[in-house]
Amino acid sequence: MEKTLQILNALEHDGVLGRYAIGGAMGATFYVEPLLTFDLDIFVLLPGAAGGLLTLAPLYEALRARGFAEEDECVNIEGVPVQFLPAYNALVEEALSEARETLYEQTPTRVLRPEHLLAIALQTGRDKDRQRVRLLLEQAPLDHDYLSAVLARHGLKTQWKQWKP
Amino acid sequence: MEAMETLNPEIERLLAAKEARRRRLAALPFPEKVRAVVQLQIMAAPILRARGKIVRVWRLEGLAKPAGE
Repeated sequence: MEKTLQILNALEHDGVLGRYAIGGAMGATFYVEPLLTFDLDIFVLLPGAAGGLLTLAPLYEALRARGFAEEDECVNIEGVPVQFLPAYNALVEEALSEARETLYEQTPTRVLRPEHLLAIALQTGRDKDRQRVRLLLEQAPLDHDYLSAVLARHGLKTQWKQWKP
Repeated sequence: MEAMETLNPEIERLLAAKEARRRRLAALPFPEKVRAVVQLQIMAAPILRARGKIVRVWRLEGLAKPAGE
């Protein structure tokens, strides 16, 4: 996975990506016990996308030029199927801008904060998101004041009251 | 009203140990957790494939390519 992250860093350096961070099950795994997943979910801010069309076409083209092929909704980058998710609303944009810088082995990368992972799961609302919320509550080092502010800012307090164990 | 059934102490001990193991796993460094995820993929892939799901086990630096990949 280190090589995969190095490619993502190169894409960001070259301006193909505005900014990226790990989310989804692997993002949650950063904070909780390992979770089975077959995709690496990467949230991305696309350059020039603010208020415009969210298209992954230039990113896919840049990856094809580097020899990485699309496989269904993912791109296989150095043996890891990566699913790119463009920042599709204000919550995800905020999550990306406040993502944590970390190192994977020797390679710098970013992971969404656990409070944002929880809020995104709450907003997405599938059964597996409910399980993720429960795990993050049990095991992740959450800043509850920060979480409360995120939920209030993005209109998720009602959903939170329904989902909170 | 019936009294609430209590757990056998041995089962309670097993559940507590299971919970402690989950917390230990949660505290592992991220690269070790990624290796654990790939091990889970190796275990789950044959079952999922038998159900007709297309899955690919990640190729991770330092881990041998799993059989069938």
